[in-house]
Amino acid sequence: MINLISYLLISLVLFFVGVTVMVARKNIVAILLGIELVLNAAALNFVAYSKFVTNNLDGHIFSLFIIVVAAAEAAVGLAIVIRFFQIKETVHIDEATSLRN
Amino acid sequence: MFIHILFILSATLTLAGAFGVLATKNIMHSCIFLLASLIGIAGLYATMGADFVAVTQIMVYVGGIVILMLFAVMLTGGKDFVSKAQNLLGLAPSMGNKFTYSMGLFVGLVFVLTNAKLLWSVAFSMSSNEVTEAYPSTVNELGHLLIKDHVLAFELSSVLLLGALVGAAIIARPRKQ
Repeated sequence: MINLISYLLISLVLFFVGVTVMVARKNIVAILLGIELVLNAAALNFVAYSKFVTNNLDGHIFSLFIIVVAAAEAAVGLAIVIRFFQIKETVHIDEATSLRN
Repeated sequence: MFIHILFILSATLTLAGAFGVLATKNIMHSCIFLLASLIGIAGLYATMGADFVAVTQIMVYVGGIVILMLFAVMLTGGKDFVSKAQNLLGLAPSMGNKFTYSMGLFVGLVFVLTNAKLLWSVAFSMSSNEVTEAYPSTVNELGHLLIKDHVLAFELSSVLLLGALVGAAIIARPRKQ
């Protein structure tokens, strides 16, 4: 039976896969992919609670704004990645050591 | 019954895509797996009757963000897609080491333990709710909500998008050394 818990479990697994991608991968673009997974888990939770608990459409509005913010974040993040590649000639996250010391 | 089939297919697609993003070492394949996962999430929105959110998800994510990611991968590709670091099992390179995996496991355990009671109570109080057969369209009501109740956030998001566009263009432009 489909209830709130099934959506919450999917969202939980998606969130942890996203966090693991963010922590474990070394490519900066892969870290951005993990951020997208985490944002999608949050948006899925908003729509699920809006459907099963509150019975209004405010969760849908929140999901739309999450999608907007994710689009803006992806644009700026990928611009930073391209700039980083122009300077360092790599996209490995361990090369970002300019602020060390 | 149709909703059950759609739910199972979408959930499988979502989770398989997410684990594919985690498991593949080729960043281009990771982007394609992310695309599958996002389409699955749009299907999950459709099973909850959120038609407008599902279509927006497909248009913005699949049509915009994943394509942007693929362009970034192609622009920054070069020779080192894959790092040579070995992970815990020695299976896939570029996947972290023992420290990162144990840290992720620890954080996951803390999160589950702190939220187990909450999820348990929600599971018992909400188990009588079921998905009904047909859904009305939500586009009309969403438009009224965006213009009436949430109009400030709506306008601010346009300013945010303009700022992000200009900022991305300024950050990524080639500059003379």
